[in-house]
Amino acid sequence: MNLREAQVVIACVASRFGASTVFPILQHQLDKSVEFSTPVTSYRSLQEGVFLLRNDFPLYSGGVVHHAPLLVALMSAFNNENMVSLLYACADALVAYQLIAMARSFNNSSLPSWVPGALYVINPLVLLSSVSKSSIVFSNLAISTALLTALQGNWVCSAVSIAVASYLSLYPLTLLVPLLALLRDHKLKTVSTTAVTLVTLLLSSYKINDGSWNYLFSTYGVIITFSKIIPNLGLWWYFFVELFEMFIPFFKAVFNLFVVSCIIPFSLRFHKQPFYAFVLCLCWITLTKSYPTLGDGGFLLSFIPFFKPLYGYFRYSVISALLFIHVTVLSPIFYHLWVDLGSGNSNFFYAISLVYALGLATVLVDLVWAMLRIEYDKGKPNLNLKLTPI
Amino acid sequence: MALIERLQRRASDWGLLPRLLQLLPRLAIISGIIGFAWLAVYLPLEGEFRRTYISENALMPSQAYSYFRETEWNLLRGYRTQVKDLVNKHSDERNGILGSWLEEIGVKTAIHHDPENRDTLYGVWNAPRGDGTEAMVLAAPWFNGDGEFNIGGVALATALTRFFSRWPLWSKNIIVVFSEDTRASLSSWCHAYHNNLDLTGGSIESAVVLDYPGTNDYFKYVEIFYAGLNGELPNLDLVNVAVHVTEHEGMKVSLNGAPESEIGEDDYPGRMQKMLLGIRKMALAGVQTCYGNEAFSGYRIQSIVLRARGKEGPFDITTFGRVPEAVFRSVNNLLEKFHQSFFFYLLLAPRYFVSIASYLPAAVAYSAAFILASLDNFLKSNKHLPMGANAAFRISLNTATTFVGSFLASFFISQVFLQWQKPLALVLASGLLSLIPLFPTDIKLSLAQSHQLKSIAFSYLSVVLTSLLVVNFALAFGIGLLAFPMIFLANTVSPRTGIKNTALLVLTNPFICSCLFANIFESQLPNLEIISRLISAWKELGCWTWFLICIGWLPAWITVAISSLPAVFGQSVVDKTKPLDVDTDADADIKKLQ
Repeated sequence: MNLREAQVVIACVASRFGASTVFPILQHQLDKSVEFSTPVTSYRSLQEGVFLLRNDFPLYSGGVVHHAPLLVALMSAFNNENMVSLLYACADALVAYQLIAMARSFNNSSLPSWVPGALYVINPLVLLSSVSKSSIVFSNLAISTALLTALQGNWVCSAVSIAVASYLSLYPLTLLVPLLALLRDHKLKTVSTTAVTLVTLLLSSYKINDGSWNYLFSTYGVIITFSKIIPNLGLWWYFFVELFEMFIPFFKAVFNLFVVSCIIPFSLRFHKQPFYAFVLCLCWITLTKSYPTLGDGGFLLSFIPFFKPLYGYFRYSVISALLFIHVTVLSPIFYHLWVDLGSGNSNFFYAISLVYALGLATVLVDLVWAMLRIEYDKGKPNLNLKLTPI
Repeated sequence: MALIERLQRRASDWGLLPRLLQLLPRLAIISGIIGFAWLAVYLPLEGEFRRTYISENALMPSQAYSYFRETEWNLLRGYRTQVKDLVNKHSDERNGILGSWLEEIGVKTAIHHDPENRDTLYGVWNAPRGDGTEAMVLAAPWFNGDGEFNIGGVALATALTRFFSRWPLWSKNIIVVFSEDTRASLSSWCHAYHNNLDLTGGSIESAVVLDYPGTNDYFKYVEIFYAGLNGELPNLDLVNVAVHVTEHEGMKVSLNGAPESEIGEDDYPGRMQKMLLGIRKMALAGVQTCYGNEAFSGYRIQSIVLRARGKEGPFDITTFGRVPEAVFRSVNNLLEKFHQSFFFYLLLAPRYFVSIASYLPAAVAYSAAFILASLDNFLKSNKHLPMGANAAFRISLNTATTFVGSFLASFFISQVFLQWQKPLALVLASGLLSLIPLFPTDIKLSLAQSHQLKSIAFSYLSVVLTSLLVVNFALAFGIGLLAFPMIFLANTVSPRTGIKNTALLVLTNPFICSCLFANIFESQLPNLEIISRLISAWKELGCWTWFLICIGWLPAWITVAISSLPAVFGQSVVDKTKPLDVDTDADADIKKLQ
């Protein structure tokens, strides 16, 4: 790690920790905002879980806690609020460092390795997500660890990390598919290691949860069945608010199928560019998952700098940027109009979540098109050749 | 798909995109012109607006006979004679006497003490047929917005309370409020009601403020004010009910204080004028004279002001009293909240409105104009960008720091002038800063830098306007319109452009511009009055307009002002001679990625 990279990592810790300690009110505000906090990632419910665990109450019978039992147990080890802030800041800094390490592993000449890390540090979405102490930070950390270690060929570490990520928020389990493409060999061993780790984690959760399996529904069941219908930036909530009761199970299945539907196609089509396939899958999950936050979006955008050679082919970069800017500005305003002032209604906020989905979709489409074009040009960018993308 | 493909091929054959990019500056100007024309010219056209209607069937305005008639006449006059004697009394004494009358009627009273904004007397009359969770407010400030003693209003409110209390049909509590004025004390009461008052009567659904200064028996017509703070409007149904009831009683209605001579003008210029008046009223709510409905903004309360105008005329004070009576009976009928989607409208006449989908494009056009101008400047700055990653990076960094600096400076200004109220200093400083293009300095900006600064300023302004679109349409439209000349700013390369730029900067400076606007259109806000009013509106009512102007408009203006520092010409000529070698390292990178 050279000086610049060290500066980036230190800046990451300092900015996160500083923002949390100087403006403690910010954490409460962000934790209440639907953009950064969902029932499955909220810090409030995590704290509730810690309280319940410390006082030997059953964790999941109240229906408030949706975090994995081991995460609650981990958090209950920290008594001091500042220590917790430091933990989140360090987790985020570790992600920044891993991005730097990924850039280094590409030996990209045109992109100094500190740049992706620096962009991650100044990305306001990630910053605010980390300050809100959303538990998505830990899932992101596990995902980026899995990716980095896979790039480095360390399949054990990669398998364990992806198991941890799936243990924390379920859907990353599907990322195992592109990860297998990334690991050239030991595929079977990777799968079995992931399975063994996951089973170990689940069994130890069972132990911690006083020998009860009810945590499975409260954590993963809630994610799959979307049983807590709370507005968020995803595509699910509005649909299930409006739907007739008898159709709900069918469409829940459809939505879940939707999440996993593109994972294998992406991994197959781009198996020669596995890192790229991994990011596409991540983008797909961010777009279709049941409880997304802006933290997911920010994490995804941090991978865009790696595709600098493809920039010439991006066709919607201005549009995507404008969409993201408008989403971050307008979503709290429309939520305020709907919930506080009562002059707007839920359509206002849902319109914005559609805009957010559109923003992610333009990024996805742009990435796919750029890679297909560069394949077509046989790896030599030929920006003067115009092709119709249909 | 084939059709899209063909269209796209055709477009690229014609070179549509490059041509459009060249036309960007013109498109931006056209977009701005369309914005104004859409609102002022297009919407008042016959067929573009709709007649109002009552959306919530339960309201049934004027379906019941109103009983506030001759039987109440003497009571009302009696109260008025008594209230007239209170004119010169201290507020404690006035509140004490009025409170005792209310207690006699059977209304529970309390006084909200606020040493800063003076005391407010209020009474809660519990509904005989309700569960006490909802309430309607009847407010009569002791002094109205113009500072006149509200004799008729206070007497009427008392008489109406007595009248209401004898009826068993109420399903919502009735709260009467006698605040000292229509601004700070009423808004302080409203804040306290939702926070710490002991005597309360449930959530307030509607509020009607009565304004009848003087002891005259007769009046000419009724004025209705409805524009709330921060772009909030009461539900159109409530305004419709008030208009309907008033006209049903035979009185003429004027909205937003339009002069009497213009009532009933149902022609194109009349509609246009009234709509623009309404927009001005919305944009300057809280800054202009407040008649009382502004105090209820922010708590989901639908509020209007009824004012009796004219000293002589065919209608007597009980006729005026029948308006709140009928409005209260209508609101009393409500079983749910007011209907959704009736919160965004512009009124062109008491019975004509346009809804959000029709008028929103006007403000969207300004937002689009700025985004187009920003895009244009962005492309131009890329054209002039020096070769080499470092130089380009330095320019971007300069732009970013300048913008952040202007933002922080604007925030600082907004805070400082909140405490240190010297509008003159603010305007003078703005004027001085506008002279930037003429400064004989050694600092010369590169063209790339200048364009990039403009680009970031315009895109910021566009985002601000977009975010205001729905929340406060009138303000978004106003800021868009007044700041629009900014996009005409050219690079300062000669003294002549320098003078032109200075003129444009003076014209678009938030403070100078709003003062000019107020002096031309608002007779109540002469000279620099508008700036101190903006500040007091924040302090007394919590109106954000001051901050929106300081934090939304000013940073863009400062950045644009800096961008019009004298620029160096010719750097681009040098750049163009260099060969374009963009793709050489990219090649290598792609191979590595694969």
